[in-house]
Amino acid sequence: MESSLLDRLSRLLGGSVVSPGDGYEIDGLTPQVVVRPADRLQLSEIIRWASSEQVSLLPRGGGTRSGLGNVPRKADVVLDLGAFNRLLDYQPADMTATVEAGVTLSSLQEQLSSGGEFVPMESAVADRSTVGGILSVGAGGPLSHTYGLPREWLIGIGVMTTQGVSTKAGGKVVKNVTGYDLDKLYTGSLGTLGVIVEASFKLLPRDPQSGTLMASFPSLAASIAVGKKLLHSSAAPLGFHAVTSGVSRRLQDSVQAASQDLGLNDEETALSFSFFAGRAQATRRRLDESAALLLAEGAIAVQRIEGNSAKGMLRWITDVPAEIGRESTLVIKLSVQSKSVARTSAECSDILLFGEGPDQMADPGFGTVRLQWPESQDGPNRGAGIDQSILETVKKIRQIAHQYGGSAVVEHCPLSTKRQMDVWGDLPDSLEIMQAIKKRFDPGETLNPGRFLGGI
Amino acid sequence: MDFKRFLKGLQDIVGEKNVVYHSDDLLVFEYDGSVDRRMPDAVVFPNSTQEVSKVIALACRNRIPVVGRGTGTGLSGGAIAPPGGIQVAFTRMNRILEVDTDNRMALVEPGVINLDLDTRVRKEGLRYAPDPSSQKACSLGGNIAENSGGPHCLAYGTTTNHVLGMEVVLEDGSIVNLGSMARETTGYDLRGVFTGSEGTFGIATKIAVRLLPVPEAVRTFLAIFPDVGTACTAVSAVIEHGIVPAALEMIDALTIQAVQNVSDAGYPDDAGAVLLIELEGLCDEVDEIGKEVEAALWDTGATQVRTAQAAEERQQLWVGRNGALGALGSIAPNYFLVDGVVPRTQLAQVLGQVAEVSRKYDIPIANVFHAGDGNLHPCLLFDERKPGALENIVEAGTEVLQICVDAGGTLTGEHGVGLEKKEQMPLVFSEDDMAAMILVRDAFAPANSLNPGKIFPDGTKPVPRAHPAAPGMTV
Repeated sequence: MESSLLDRLSRLLGGSVVSPGDGYEIDGLTPQVVVRPADRLQLSEIIRWASSEQVSLLPRGGGTRSGLGNVPRKADVVLDLGAFNRLLDYQPADMTATVEAGVTLSSLQEQLSSGGEFVPMESAVADRSTVGGILSVGAGGPLSHTYGLPREWLIGIGVMTTQGVSTKAGGKVVKNVTGYDLDKLYTGSLGTLGVIVEASFKLLPRDPQSGTLMASFPSLAASIAVGKKLLHSSAAPLGFHAVTSGVSRRLQDSVQAASQDLGLNDEETALSFSFFAGRAQATRRRLDESAALLLAEGAIAVQRIEGNSAKGMLRWITDVPAEIGRESTLVIKLSVQSKSVARTSAECSDILLFGEGPDQMADPGFGTVRLQWPESQDGPNRGAGIDQSILETVKKIRQIAHQYGGSAVVEHCPLSTKRQMDVWGDLPDSLEIMQAIKKRFDPGETLNPGRFLGGI
Repeated sequence: MDFKRFLKGLQDIVGEKNVVYHSDDLLVFEYDGSVDRRMPDAVVFPNSTQEVSKVIALACRNRIPVVGRGTGTGLSGGAIAPPGGIQVAFTRMNRILEVDTDNRMALVEPGVINLDLDTRVRKEGLRYAPDPSSQKACSLGGNIAENSGGPHCLAYGTTTNHVLGMEVVLEDGSIVNLGSMARETTGYDLRGVFTGSEGTFGIATKIAVRLLPVPEAVRTFLAIFPDVGTACTAVSAVIEHGIVPAALEMIDALTIQAVQNVSDAGYPDDAGAVLLIELEGLCDEVDEIGKEVEAALWDTGATQVRTAQAAEERQQLWVGRNGALGALGSIAPNYFLVDGVVPRTQLAQVLGQVAEVSRKYDIPIANVFHAGDGNLHPCLLFDERKPGALENIVEAGTEVLQICVDAGGTLTGEHGVGLEKKEQMPLVFSEDDMAAMILVRDAFAPANSLNPGKIFPDGTKPVPRAHPAAPGMTV
């Protein structure tokens, strides 16, 4: 069967775009083939073929979030969109740009900076994450408190349906209510409704000045409480994050140096980051007033970083969620109302796994609390007992999230545990509508079967 | 089907006095803010989600189509009753249920007036940012249906960027929650695709929205230019400085003339265009950027620049823009409004082409628009009593839309497709594009009984009626 699928696809598309799926493992499943269509015609061919042959397709950009979602029901063919890597249109004077799905975020931002602009989307590993992947996941980043999610910046989208037909929604203008807003539907749909081929964004001008404040606090709870106050002040940062010592220990060397005077020796000490950007004078004023507020409200020490180092710190905190997965047993991302972050964090800190409470990254502005439990002392995890403990922990965390009107997504856990759960959490009462949408868009369950909420 | 029995069923749910069905009483519900009209068979005024659910379930069982109605200010025919249909009006469901300052969130019923919500939350130092020009009269429910914008959406986004969650009644009467109180949710973004679905997916009965802090400083600039072309250059210059104002509006010479006829906005007689720019932020930012804006205005040829910071003075500068549409009545008894949107850089060229259309059809066209995001509102002025005038207008309006589409724009920036533009959808979307959209509608409303006949072409060109221009109307 293995060579057969490879052979069939090679005959269909030509050998140069088809290769064995080794090295493209997803959740313990090795796809038989990786296809890298060169253009829309080939993409359409492969999709139509897969639909009619009942072969599953797993779209891929940079593969940086391939562990997200439930274990696929079928993982036959990886669909690599890497060849779709052109900036199709960029109008600095209109502050809009249209780009193919395979362009990396770094590459896009670089090309936009030539026009003095950027798209307010963030992603870990930005030099490998692609526009299509980022939209499919639909998640935000450290500055989501101000910039929201990728959905806020998407103004038009080109998607190839499971019938291999090119469709579009939205347009190239920043204000548009013509037809249904399918842009929003495709964003965060984890590639289960169609294959994103291109996207149009509205942009913002680059801020001339950046600044970051690092501050240490006697506890995570203290830093979250002060963060709330800061976010509600007139000097509010674009984003505020508080992390526990387990996370701050991973600071890269350059950032370590900057944090030396912050007194991070104590296990309980928490580290906070406040990010600012804008016009020079206003940014300086925000930094001044925020530093004063942090100290007045109980920060142990405050460190002020400007310019490129400040940007470096923002990159670090954007990348940390991707890195902590590697050394963790369990990573859960909670999304709750911003006013509930303090209580959520406090209650979650009491939930032990293998005798340890979680390390945390809290965003009291946007409402995200990321929890991470390290690998147990006995090394990499195996066995039903461990699965049970993890499932119990997840259940308790979900109860807390539910209590505060939010959700808890398992971003990382052992494969044996993942096979026994729905990583997305509680099923909403609108699940039926979601299932109905999936059924109409992908009746043959060709795209990413089983990976989404409720096994969609 | 026995209509009398159906009416009785409605009365049993909401109470006798909350069902309107005599033709005299129905007259006012025949209209909305557009040029289309149709008499509903009945209008129902529920007071709770449960009542809405029962009404819609009853209508569904009797195969009677339903449309939700806020305050009937829509400009694309969204609230016009479908043939043989009823309206569910939210006049009574107009409560602000909760204002949560800690969470910066408000929970409202769909009948709450947009400006009433903003006014209420300003008491807590917060604001509700999407501000359609009709905000004194339009409802949140309607804002959801159309994904309404407004002058300040240039900086803050439209309604969809501010909706957190909704309680929605589907066509079979079932009640479902979309989104959540948290900013990030799991599953498909149903709250996102529902917003702007023009009442065809379901009817929202509770809406949770995000609030923003009131800015520390606001400064408004009003600049007079000799003509629209020069004003467009100023718009480009401001944007090129890397400035995204909170609002950026323009009105042209004909509009200025109209405004001068009815009020004293103090515009000079030779004003060819008026530009309004509003900046918001910290004092420092507003000062710094304000200087650049002012310089750009003078550099690109403004003949006069006024500026204001205090609320009352700023209101004064906005008087002309806010009263623009109503003032058009002083020039002609009727208007037909086009909601085209084009890339900002195409504005000057498109306005030139619109002027050509004006000459070609011999129709005065007044332009009032959101210059910052390229959303035009050419108002085609006419007198419906003149034979052939209305047909002439509709043809000219269609040509203007084609111009917008050809310039890289689209049919509607904020008013919605509704009845008015449904036959023009093929100008921007292919059969396949629209088929994908209808798949989503099918998932929400398989019987297509909520506001049917809107958005998608079906060969039934609506017969427009002339719209009388009157004071108090806004665009």
